[in-house]
Amino acid sequence: MPEIVLDNVSKKFGETVAADGLSLSIKDGEYVCILGPTGAGKTTCMRMICGLTQPDSGRVYLDGKDVTDDPVDTRNATMLTQSYALFPHMTVYDNVRFAPQIKGWAPEDIKQVVRSTLHMVHLEQKAEWMPAQLSGGQQQRIALARALASGSKVLLLDEPLRALDARLRINLRKELRTMAKQMGVTCIHVTHDQDEALAVADRIAIIRDGRIIQFGTPSEVFDDPATPFVATFVGRSNILTGKVVRSDGESTAIDVAGTVLLARPSPMEVGEEAVLAVKIGFTRISKKQEEIDAAYFTGTIDRVLYEGVTITVEINAGGLGLISSKLPNRKFDDYHAGDIVGVSWAPSKASVFRVPPEGLEKELKLE
Amino acid sequence: MSLLKRIDDLSDNRKVRSGWFVFACLVFILVIVVPSIFVVTNLFTDWELVDLVLNNEGIKDTVLSAVFNSFSIAFIVTIIDILVGLPMAWIMVRKNFHGKRWLDTLLDMPLAFPTAVLGISVVMFWISPDGISIPGLGLSLSPYMMVILLHIIFTYPYMVRSLSAILEQIDPNFETAGMTLGASRWTAVRTITLPLFRAGLATGFVLCFARSLSETGGTYIALTMMGVQTSFFTGPSFISFLKSDESLYTSDEMMGAQILISVVMIVLALVLMFVVRKFIAKFRIPYQKVWPQIGRKVSQGGLPKLKDGITIAFLIVIVLLPSFYIFMYLTEPMPQMDYGTLLTSIAISFGVAGVAVLVDIAIGVPMALYIARHKNGKLGQILDNLVNVPLIIPTTALGFSLSLFWGGFGLDSSFDLLLVIFGHISFTYPLVVRNLIGAIEEVDPSCEEIAMTLGAKPFQAFSKVLFPIINSAVIAGSILAFTRSLGETGATTSISQNVNTVPIYITHLVEDGLYTEAAMCSIVLIALCFILMFGIRVVTGRRSKRDA
Amino acid sequence: MVRIKLEHISMRFGDFYAVRDINLEINSGEYVTILGPSGCGKTSLIKVISGIWTPTEGKVYFDGLDVTKVPMEDRDVGYVFQNIALFPHMTLKENVAYSPRVKDQGEEAMESLSTEYLQLVNMLARAGMYPRELSGGEQQKVAIARALASGSKMLMLDEPLSALDARVRMELRYEIRRLVKKLGITVLHVTHDQEEAMSVSDRIVLMRYGTIAEAGSPLDIYRKPSSVFAANFIGETNLMECTVSDRSKSGKTKVKLRGGREIRTSKTNFSVGDPVVISVRPEHVYPAIDGLEAEVQSIVFMGTYWRVRTLAESRDYVEYNVPADEEVPEVGDTVHLVFNKKAVVVFARPQGGIEEEIRLE
Repeated sequence: MPEIVLDNVSKKFGETVAADGLSLSIKDGEYVCILGPTGAGKTTCMRMICGLTQPDSGRVYLDGKDVTDDPVDTRNATMLTQSYALFPHMTVYDNVRFAPQIKGWAPEDIKQVVRSTLHMVHLEQKAEWMPAQLSGGQQQRIALARALASGSKVLLLDEPLRALDARLRINLRKELRTMAKQMGVTCIHVTHDQDEALAVADRIAIIRDGRIIQFGTPSEVFDDPATPFVATFVGRSNILTGKVVRSDGESTAIDVAGTVLLARPSPMEVGEEAVLAVKIGFTRISKKQEEIDAAYFTGTIDRVLYEGVTITVEINAGGLGLISSKLPNRKFDDYHAGDIVGVSWAPSKASVFRVPPEGLEKELKLE
Repeated sequence: MSLLKRIDDLSDNRKVRSGWFVFACLVFILVIVVPSIFVVTNLFTDWELVDLVLNNEGIKDTVLSAVFNSFSIAFIVTIIDILVGLPMAWIMVRKNFHGKRWLDTLLDMPLAFPTAVLGISVVMFWISPDGISIPGLGLSLSPYMMVILLHIIFTYPYMVRSLSAILEQIDPNFETAGMTLGASRWTAVRTITLPLFRAGLATGFVLCFARSLSETGGTYIALTMMGVQTSFFTGPSFISFLKSDESLYTSDEMMGAQILISVVMIVLALVLMFVVRKFIAKFRIPYQKVWPQIGRKVSQGGLPKLKDGITIAFLIVIVLLPSFYIFMYLTEPMPQMDYGTLLTSIAISFGVAGVAVLVDIAIGVPMALYIARHKNGKLGQILDNLVNVPLIIPTTALGFSLSLFWGGFGLDSSFDLLLVIFGHISFTYPLVVRNLIGAIEEVDPSCEEIAMTLGAKPFQAFSKVLFPIINSAVIAGSILAFTRSLGETGATTSISQNVNTVPIYITHLVEDGLYTEAAMCSIVLIALCFILMFGIRVVTGRRSKRDA
Repeated sequence: MVRIKLEHISMRFGDFYAVRDINLEINSGEYVTILGPSGCGKTSLIKVISGIWTPTEGKVYFDGLDVTKVPMEDRDVGYVFQNIALFPHMTLKENVAYSPRVKDQGEEAMESLSTEYLQLVNMLARAGMYPRELSGGEQQKVAIARALASGSKMLMLDEPLSALDARVRMELRYEIRRLVKKLGITVLHVTHDQEEAMSVSDRIVLMRYGTIAEAGSPLDIYRKPSSVFAANFIGETNLMECTVSDRSKSGKTKVKLRGGREIRTSKTNFSVGDPVVISVRPEHVYPAIDGLEAEVQSIVFMGTYWRVRTLAESRDYVEYNVPADEEVPEVGDTVHLVFNKKAVVVFARPQGGIEEEIRLE
């Protein structure tokens, strides 16, 4: 039985639509990321689950029970926000003890739970400290401990890592997932960071303008995006528009500015305007003559950026515009600005979409 | 325990929560707002009394000149406050130096002095009135000038406080950005920070203006000491003068005059509040020109230091010295005192102030919670403005209005004490609520929300999380309201002649020419105030130390 | 274009050194990133350079000229703030025209400069709007235009992207770099995001505890970090404690992991028996038939590859990458791992232990 269900919920704040007939169902024990740009309605979605925001219409179910009209404290769904909201007047210990005490557990149980959760986040030696004395990462872990100690089966994480340094985020996101899985709680994690979402989630729900536009596993969302927006939002993509010239069971061929490009099969008809999206990580380049001959098109390298694990090569491809290709870092010494390279990709890695009714530019806007 | 649990459980019910809020609103509107402006209806029901005044050239002129004096003095005082308050706010917010805490405390001092006491002290300092043996500066000042000097003292702290509050919210990066772009500090302040100041300026303006407009005790005492209380009037001092003689204030004409003055002052004050808000919000300096050379000269070298020097000198010479001058009486021989009356009046003053503050907190908390969390909602904004109303209305008019309102319910003179308490609740309520709103806005709303998702019922989230956090702000607001109530003269006199609070007692002493006794009473009162403030500081200080 | 030189710069607040004895030279037109964890003094450093703060000790030179005592309004340093700080009461055009305005350069200069620089960041069409009507990324672009319109040849970027969404951040960083390179401006960019630093800079200056920990091109610092901290902070890496077990005359070194397995590393100057730490990045670890035995703990999808986390027989966590289209192991499987020996960097074992050395806060 699904643990959390949002059934066709809508919510407006004045003129702003935060949820627009949104439906979502999350399984018991699952770790789900809600991913979207700022203002897409991510936080509202989460607040409706724990009851801090009342939907204008639609129902919310927890564990099969309609809780739409239940007060917050009875729902057993705990939240963790980007500000952590540790109670500033209580010690770390008292913060973690808050929920068990409110719920009136036996004193020995409370002690036991607080001890073990503090131990789990490696901060038992800081129990008597005040929150203001802790670093950002420690505060984040105390907030997590406080949430876990409540015994809630649903954990709502609202951009829990946003306020932290980039490098620390990478460490802590691993910890977050490990602990959630260890405690067996159902997790909903709101973020705007697609790397974070890919790294922690069992499934990702992409939200935009108060609607879920795709809900699937990280590899589904990455490899088979539902819209051009998803294609470029989760990992950068090269996006090209043109006319379908052939469409069969093997591939779709699209004519972009006189160059024919191949993509995976699609139901599109010959002559239709189409948008092709291919991840820059799946965009291959080569300097070898025979591969240049076999490539879709050629271009001149504009810049080669060293980014650590990967390098990004920016290619000026004339009428096709600026094309990027992401390669493993060992290829860094192979390419230099000014080199002529052939560009290609496996047709199965490229997606095809109809041109969105509001236009491509609006569709691809990130903010 | 079971009661608390019952409250906890009840607080889960949305209807109960809205009910409690509606109750607080009703109390606010029916006990505070409506009685405060009730006198406006008398304009229609008792038109014949007002008509009497309008037909009597002599009284009409007196009334009109009193109102004119009140407004023009308030205006001049406020402008001076802004001019001197701005650099002071800068010093307080943007500079770090040794002794800043001291300056901070000194700035608030005048708020702890009852205005009646300030009246005596200031007149003593500037001129040498008859009957006072302690030498002053001996300047010959017109009553108009004297009142301005007096009013600056107790409005100045309000101005500096509200300007500082806004300055603190203006990101210093704006100024820095301007300067990295080539603007001198003076130019950056003029073109960036000052235009961003508008909202704060409006609040400070209205606060100071209203405070000056409504001040009664100090003004009346100052005028009495100068011997001009029967010839020079401000609106409130005129009512005070009438109240000093029973045959005067019960006559039809004078009743009419009181109604007229009260209504005119209330209406003008409210209109002004909205006009100033609108005007300042829309106002834009149309002139874009910048003079880099002048700006640079003004920003560097000795000029900024000179400006700071003048600001501090102003604080010392115009505000602090005149306030503390009354302590000169400690050098005089002890007079024969009527300790019985003094003690009774102290008990009444503290009782009234205490009860008023407790009621303020009880009905102010739900209101402050709502306003702080619904700043952008329609109702939130309306209430936010409405809370200021009792602060804007001159207290004398407010007291008069109150006595008419409750008199209509047949509450006669045996209920005087109760009515005085009602009066004091009215004008202290905004102080407490304002402070609470400020404190609540500082607290991350997710603290309470998280507490609820952790299983706390709404009342538990309030009592265990929010309240302990804003605790010290509640106390600070209470002290402010308490001292304000302690020093209030106007509202008390216009409600009743029988409730002898300390300021009233001091006023009577001054009227009888017993300056030494009045001064001694003042010193006792100030001492009690300080002991109280200090005690509370120690208690809260200890707590905050433990928290840290 | 300006060359910047810092000589023994210290910035002290009471007993606390935000920056301690920094010496640094930045070439004209260079894009330098100052990278480091929170509180390492990176922002203090550019505040000193731009004149917002006066250093307690040391001197700042622009093009050989001592500017330590020159007030910020005369230094001509463009500064872009983390919180953007566009003047909220002015339109975009007025914001960008602010510098010519306060320098009294006349209406014409105000008009032409604001038009030119708004055009440069593609915001000219919205010149009449107020900052609040723009998204975060657009606001930051205008803030950069405002800083450049002062005619400054130096730009300080104080965590310019950290208030923005991750995806916007990525887009904007390339755009900023393209822009400043076109104009040939000297840039100091402060950030805590190593990925951002790697992708935009000519040189990275890594700071810690108020001092420079390491400086070099992104490539050098990633491939040949000189400290365990740098290896871990710039890009992810596997760190393993071990002991030098063999070293040939030419420097070829072998180390022994906990549990006794011996592996070959890049050339070093250590002696046999030295306690060391090796760092090897996940992309240089490969599964093989034989090698370090490890049990798969978790597998995470990273887009173009899978990140496999294992617990090795030496009780170290070792991570490696599997390309997206290759087969991935299952959690619980045993794999054998080998390292690209050229990419195994060896460090002396830090005094306080690895944990302390790589601490981020």
